[in-house]
Order: sequence, then structure tokens, then C-alpha cells
Amino acid sequence: MDRTEALLIADLCEGDETALAPLVERYKRMVYRLAVQITKNHADADDVMQETFIKVYHSIHTFRRDAAFETWLYRITVNEALNFVRRRERQRESTIETTPEAAYEVSTRYRAQLANDPHTQAEKSELRQYVTEAVNSLPLKHRTVVILHEFEGLTHAEIAAILNCSEGTVRSRLHYARKKLRTLLKPYMEASAI
Amino acid sequence: MRTKCHKIEHRISDYIDGTLSERQTAAVASHIRSCQSCQREVAALKKTQYLLKNFYVEPNASDAYYAQFTAKLQHRIEQSAPTAPHQRFAAAAARLGWQLRTQIHRYTDHFRPSRFISIRRHALPYYVLALAMTVLIAAPFLLTQVSLYDNGEHVRLPSAALQPAVTLTIQQDKTAVHRIGIRRNINSERTTKTPAVDSGSEVWKFTDEPMVDGYIFAKLRKESSDAVPSVALGIDSELLAYAEFPAQGAIWARLTSRDVVTEDRYALLLLRGINTGQHARQQYERKRSESKGFSQISEKLLDVPLEMLSVTAVYDPIEL
Repeated sequence: MDRTEALLIADLCEGDETALAPLVERYKRMVYRLAVQITKNHADADDVMQETFIKVYHSIHTFRRDAAFETWLYRITVNEALNFVRRRERQRESTIETTPEAAYEVSTRYRAQLANDPHTQAEKSELRQYVTEAVNSLPLKHRTVVILHEFEGLTHAEIAAILNCSEGTVRSRLHYARKKLRTLLKPYMEASAI
Repeated sequence: MRTKCHKIEHRISDYIDGTLSERQTAAVASHIRSCQSCQREVAALKKTQYLLKNFYVEPNASDAYYAQFTAKLQHRIEQSAPTAPHQRFAAAAARLGWQLRTQIHRYTDHFRPSRFISIRRHALPYYVLALAMTVLIAAPFLLTQVSLYDNGEHVRLPSAALQPAVTLTIQQDKTAVHRIGIRRNINSERTTKTPAVDSGSEVWKFTDEPMVDGYIFAKLRKESSDAVPSVALGIDSELLAYAEFPAQGAIWARLTSRDVVTEDRYALLLLRGINTGQHARQQYERKRSESKGFSQISEKLLDVPLEMLSVTAVYDPIEL
């Protein structure tokens, strides 16, 4: 945690609302990225992002200053996103019957982003889309661990602290998620001969 | 072999991540060399990892969205501000609690025996509270015991009880750039000598007393002669000094040449009204942005990155 960040946090603790804006500016992309990957939906990610920063604002006095702010923010974001998805799935179960395909559907906006990606041209385009959707098709708890470990680069211990579970659980989830992904990506491994 | 494969399979993921112990890694590697099935498994998982790293598309939103989001968040925070008296009271109490805790942390920082005993700093106030409660609970019992054995003679306190409970000494380390301490006012041990720069082996006594005025001994680590503070402070200009200390927080001070004694690449700066508040950095940045009226040399000094200004010690002016 650098000096500027430490002072911003201290100011926020003392009730200075203006200190929140620079923190939002610094971490908004990280929070959005994480939220949209867990919720798989831009609108939901937007809600999660708002709730996350509101929580930061109201609970900053509970933040231990000897800990890393980023890890604390990861924990809030992941928990908000997981709660959001669970709530949404409970509501869906009670209103409409969903198929597994519908539950794992990638949002229209997210698909559009994949299509507009300048790198997603020709044959790589399909592979990118397939890999991304394979990750999205994982069950929530496995997907969360894969996102935090493979894409956010967090260690097993950090993930365990964020998810409030043991390191063994993280390792186990990661192992099963990789096995599942290996099965899903098998046709592409053989076809592309990587 | 199958039983062995089953055992190894659970470790393959960790093997790829390199998070196994040396012994486990050797065991897995040895098995893989002799088992084609596990070799294929490792290769497949490595390919999977390659695909994830190189072909997974991380989502991101447009700049327009983020701008809109910030405005929306601001609006929600304004709405969520406590309006009812009890909510305002709760918010104020939470803030007060945090400030109180901060003060306790600062206070306990000086007495922190963590150099010798491993105690987590954030938990120290709770230890103090627990100790106080233990004393309160045990006091009636102990008093009863004393009255049972008291034969009428006056109780004499051992002479050790009149001595200071703790004498905290900290070895000053000249290699640690930001190590800082405030010199204790101990009557018999007061010195009038200006401390030498290379007093790395000297043992200083420190105090928890807040310092209002004091000297700051600073030097520029940069070798370049035009960045030396003595050059800038040779004229009647102002210097904005900023320094951050692990225990005291940050300080900010406005200095003039009258407050400075310079020698070679070192400067002894008198800081008046040291601001130990949390806004020191902001004040510094604001002053820096408003520093157009400053002399050219001062500006040059202000342009030196903050990291270049290293503080080695702060001394009590009375002692100096």
C-alpha cells in the first residue's frame, strides 16, 4: 500500500467523502472485471460494483491498516458478487424454470465485446470465445477460484482468506476446475495442436 | 500403479503451479517419468493453462461507462448519508471509535515490544483491555488475601516498584532510511551536543511524548550536487519538507533558511509546528502545486522525488 493510498484511507475513515473518488478511480476496473466474471452480466456487475464501493465507504473503519487494501477490496467484491448470484438464482428458481444452458448464458454485451475484440479475428476468434465460454460454464465456486488464481494471479492462501475457506479447499476446487476445463477444451487442443 | 496414479493425480495441479514441497515435487516427477498416463495428464493440464492464459478474454467496460458509474456512485453516497438523528449519532460514534483506536495504536506503537515479543499490533489494545479487566477481577481476591495475612505492620513496597516500569531503548540503525524516533527527556541523560550524522552505533532513548517542535536531520541521497538542500536553502527561500514515519504518521513543514543549518550534503532543519495529521501529504501536494511564486532553485528542490529526501532522525530541540 503506497503513501497516497494510506492517506486516502485515513481521510475516508475520518469521514472525508472526497477521498473515495480517487480510490474508486484506482480500483474500478479491477472491481468491474471481477464482478462481471462472477455474475456474467453487465447489469449485475454494475450493481455489485456500486454495492462494493458503498460498503467500502461505510465499513472503511473496520479495515485493518496493516493489511493490504486490495485484498480487502477483493474480499468485498467477491462476496458481494457471490451473494448477488446466489440471490438471483434463488429468485429464478422461484419464478421460472431455467435450463443449465440459460444459467450459463453469457450476457449479450459480453458477447458483443468478444466479437468486437480486434484480436478475435479469423480462427483465434473462435478459440477465444470457446475458452471464455468454457470458463463461464464452470460452476460458480470453481469459476471463482479459477478467476482469482489464473487471471487475478492470487495465491492459494490469499484466495482462502477471501473466500473464508481452507487452502486445501481452494486447491481441490482448482484441481476439479482444471480437469473440467481440460475436458471442455480437449477438441481445441487436438485441433489446434498447441 | 493405478493406486499410485490416483494419489499423484490430486497433486498434479499443485505440481504444475509449483506449490508442492521439494520432496513432493520429486515424488511426483519421479512417478510422471515412469507413467505415460500421468505424463498425458500433465501435458493436457499444461495446455489447458496455456489456453486460459492466452485465449481467455477478460471483460472490460468503456471509459464512458466508468465516468457514468462514478457520478452514479456519488449520488448514491449522498443519498445514503445518515439523516435520522440516531443514524448520525451512530456514524459519528463509529468515526470517533476509529479515531480513538488510531490514537491508541499510535500510543502503543512506542511501547510495542514486538521487537522482542511477537504481538500483532492491531490486537494490542485488546490485550491491554484484557489485562485491565483481569486486574479488576483479581483485585478483590488479592485484597482479601492481604487482609488475611496482615498482622498490623505497614506494608513496604519493594524498592523496584519505584523504578520506571519500562525503559525502552532502540538501536538507531543508520542503514534504515525511515527509522525514526523521538528523543526522550530524561533529566540525567540529556545531551547538548548536536548528533553526528554517522551515529549509527549510538543507542538513543525514545519517548512516546508527542513532539511539537523539533529538528529533522535530512540528507539527499541523490549524488547530484544541484539537488543538495544547502544550495537551495542558501538563499532566503522556503522549503516544503515532507516525511513519513512508521509510528508517527506523516509530517509536513514549511522551512526558511533561518531554520536550517547545512553542511555538505546534509541539512539540519528546524520544524516548527510539525503537523502530524493525516493531511500532511495533501497539504504538501497542494503547496507544491501552488509553488509558482517560489524561487527557481526552490522549485528545483521541490521537483526532487520525495523518495530522494530521506529522514534519518528527529531530535528534541531542548536536548539540542
